[in-house]
Amino acid sequence: MTITESTTHQQVVVKALGRRRRTTELGLLILAVLVICGTYALASLGKSASLPADIVPFLGVIVALPILAHLANRKFAPTSDPLFLPLAALLNGLGYVFIARLDGDLAGLQALWTAVGIFGYIATLILVRDVRFLQRYRYTFGLIGVLLLIMPLLPGIGRSINGSRIWVSLGPIGFQPGELAKIALAIFFAGYLVDRRELLGVATFRIGRINTPDPKYFAPILVAVGFSLIVMVFEKDLGSALLFFVLFIVMLWVATGRGSYLVVGVVLFSASSYAAWRMFSHVQTRVTIWINPWSDPSGKGFQVIQGAYALAWGGTTGTGPGLGIAGRIPADESDFIFAVIGEELGLLGATAVLCAFLLLAGSGLRVAQRSSDPFSSLLAVGLTTLIAFQAFIIIAGVIRLLPLTGVTLPFVSYGGSSLVANYILLALLIRISDQTARKIPEPLVAR
Amino acid sequence: MNRQIKILGIVIMLCYFAAFLKLNQIQVLQAGAYNDRPENTRAQLRDFNKPRGDIVTAEGEIAATSEVVRSELRYQRVYPDGELFAHVTGYYSFRLGSTGVERVYNAELTGRTPSLQLHELSGFFADQSSEGDVVLTLRGQVQRAARDALGGNNGSVVALDPRTGDIIAMYSNPTYDPNVISANQGEEAVDVKTLLDAAPSKPLLSRSYQERYFPGSTFKIVTATAGLTSNKVTETTPDYPVVESYTPPLTTRPIKNFDGNLCGGTLFVILQKSCNSSFAQMAAETLGPDPMIAAAEAAGFNDAPPIDLTRPATSVYPTNFGAVVSTPEGAAPVYEDTPALAQTGIGQNDVAATPLQMALVAAGVANKGRIMVPHVMSEIRARDGAVVGSYADSPWRDSMSPENAEILRRGMISVVTDGTASILALPGFDVGGKTGTAQLGLDPPQSHAWIIAFAGPAGQAPTIAVAVMVQGVDGASGSTGGRVAGPIAKQVLEAALMPG
Repeated sequence: MTITESTTHQQVVVKALGRRRRTTELGLLILAVLVICGTYALASLGKSASLPADIVPFLGVIVALPILAHLANRKFAPTSDPLFLPLAALLNGLGYVFIARLDGDLAGLQALWTAVGIFGYIATLILVRDVRFLQRYRYTFGLIGVLLLIMPLLPGIGRSINGSRIWVSLGPIGFQPGELAKIALAIFFAGYLVDRRELLGVATFRIGRINTPDPKYFAPILVAVGFSLIVMVFEKDLGSALLFFVLFIVMLWVATGRGSYLVVGVVLFSASSYAAWRMFSHVQTRVTIWINPWSDPSGKGFQVIQGAYALAWGGTTGTGPGLGIAGRIPADESDFIFAVIGEELGLLGATAVLCAFLLLAGSGLRVAQRSSDPFSSLLAVGLTTLIAFQAFIIIAGVIRLLPLTGVTLPFVSYGGSSLVANYILLALLIRISDQTARKIPEPLVAR
Repeated sequence: MNRQIKILGIVIMLCYFAAFLKLNQIQVLQAGAYNDRPENTRAQLRDFNKPRGDIVTAEGEIAATSEVVRSELRYQRVYPDGELFAHVTGYYSFRLGSTGVERVYNAELTGRTPSLQLHELSGFFADQSSEGDVVLTLRGQVQRAARDALGGNNGSVVALDPRTGDIIAMYSNPTYDPNVISANQGEEAVDVKTLLDAAPSKPLLSRSYQERYFPGSTFKIVTATAGLTSNKVTETTPDYPVVESYTPPLTTRPIKNFDGNLCGGTLFVILQKSCNSSFAQMAAETLGPDPMIAAAEAAGFNDAPPIDLTRPATSVYPTNFGAVVSTPEGAAPVYEDTPALAQTGIGQNDVAATPLQMALVAAGVANKGRIMVPHVMSEIRARDGAVVGSYADSPWRDSMSPENAEILRRGMISVVTDGTASILALPGFDVGGKTGTAQLGLDPPQSHAWIIAFAGPAGQAPTIAVAVMVQGVDGASGSTGGRVAGPIAKQVLEAALMPG
């Protein structure tokens, strides 16, 4: 085989792979759309015993937007993994149905944000044609991430809502820059750690009897992480701080392969958690409520208790969409939307949501594993960790597996910043997946 | 890095599996425990966020309906007539619970009965939900007549159809406005409820079926029934002595006739004049405890009536009069408590009855001795007007034989034509009645003024039985019952029999 022949052969294989993957994606998308439309119709029937009057515009939005993203995939990332988009569309659509069921006004906004998110997705695919472009600007992204994080603390534009100072309002638009900051920092970590992973993986520096890597390799990233964590704690955004910490430890460990980082991380985390618990009354409140929400059932424990009641009321099969008791749980359209889904779709529906996130995480990690480029691989790990653990942190908080820390449920919760950020994150995963598949099209049989 | 990615995948899977296990615990294993927690109001919330059927009178007038409001609870219960039907419909409050028809027929009003859900299925795609309307047996016009006639008096009016047990009117004063108690907005409802609970006149309780009073001379119908049923009393025998008072064995305290009148004679005469001496003697000497207890319990005493309302009171007649002291010739044995037994014969001592119970006594006489189950619901209708269920009339008690009922029917009619209840006479109708003045033993004297009656078109079966009780009237003369309660009963009978 000559080189030309080989190249042509590879192109043919890539093309075939792309066609097959996009067909799969389209089929899965149609399935997701069917599920969403069925749930929407049922929710409306349950609420007012009639088919919704706006079913046609709803179908337009729900069908058109994912199809648009699908077409963008065909054009800009033809060989990317076919699972990401249908899963995101399913979660997004399901979330939309429940937001519409809870509050019609919010649903209109959420539809708008979905559109913005899809355009953000397409724009990211167009702008980032090669992930190594991101690697080149890793420090810029690190700086952007830190700046985005401290934006809400700036006087004039920072806003405090529900006790957390994580909002920025510019004119009429309010958003949470922290959502985008997580992605920027994940890019920074990936870039930085790939540079230094050999150096960070060997212990050349002695502190007393302990060998550690040279602190000068550590310093920049430790400063960034420490600073970010302090900012998040001061913004009272505990959920984000936890997620961010997990992200950092996971990426450090994956990059270096040294288990000692995990140990040090857990010790550090425990110590800082204890310190935060001692220092901040709101942290103490969270822990008290976690251990026994019934110590203050109508006050601080109200939200968690009502969430548990909603889930229990749903039972195995749920009350049926639109037939649950809406408006009982504070923040039921954002942080606690999982409880509403659990109530109306039951254990089966809630488990389906868990499975969707697990599949998303699995797809992300598979992309990371397939990729031969360390930066792409590490970035995929980081982005997957963000989605998987953000979903886990809020779900575990709602069901009292962990203390409740308010973060949104990716793609499902109401919230523009979160939705747009998650679509951008998804586009990056898609981009990595597409690049990986182009390079190594061998494992064709598997798909 | 691949090894780490694999481990990361496993960790994520374990995390989600832990969440799945915890979900199972909340949603399945401990779901019942969560649902039953006292501060978990989801079951009530469900009802307050769904449309609820109306409660309407027999004429179709709305006694209770739900209005959509913009608040956490989507529906607010409204009672257009205020206090008029309060003790029948009850109230329906998120915080304070519910009573009356609102409580008893909650499943029908919220549409959770199989028949309503089946009916809903037939019109599945029509814009229709399953809640049902409860149609009452009460007639608004008669209910209003009862309220107006009772005026400012504390007391109760019960009117029912002796043939079916349908409650036609049931009003109790003092009463309350269920709109205030049912209000879900603001704190006023809780405060008002606290005040009403504490009020000595107990306006939240219906005097018609939740409170008991000495029935006084109206109970003589039960005593007479005991006499007839035991065959120891007939229309012509015994002929009780005409006396001022009767002193039972084992005591020196005489039971006096009202106002010191001379009184006595055969059954109809002593009914017409309401002779205390004669009925006390009948209970103590002619009959003894067993026939009295049997007749009282046959009429429904010592058992809560199975009315479809919340917490009906049990009317009581004593069941223990002690051991036999002596067995005189030609009379019932003398018991330790025969003096008390004599007093129960005229509805005093430990006898206590709800006005509903006394209306049922009259209804038994009017309906050939058969007392029907009293009820306020006549039909359940779906929202489109289709009748999905109706109350199945059924007998509750046989208080006496049809023959004896006929005798007492004529006896009570004679009380209207020739006795203390003459005020009830209505041209064109056969009206029977019995007055009562239950002395409360207070100084200055007070009494509950009673009247029980039945009426129907001349020569036909009676179509209505009533009991009127006016509580704590000044004075305690023999004419008190007829004078105070009589006009009220008459207005109610007129409203029921001569509508328009």
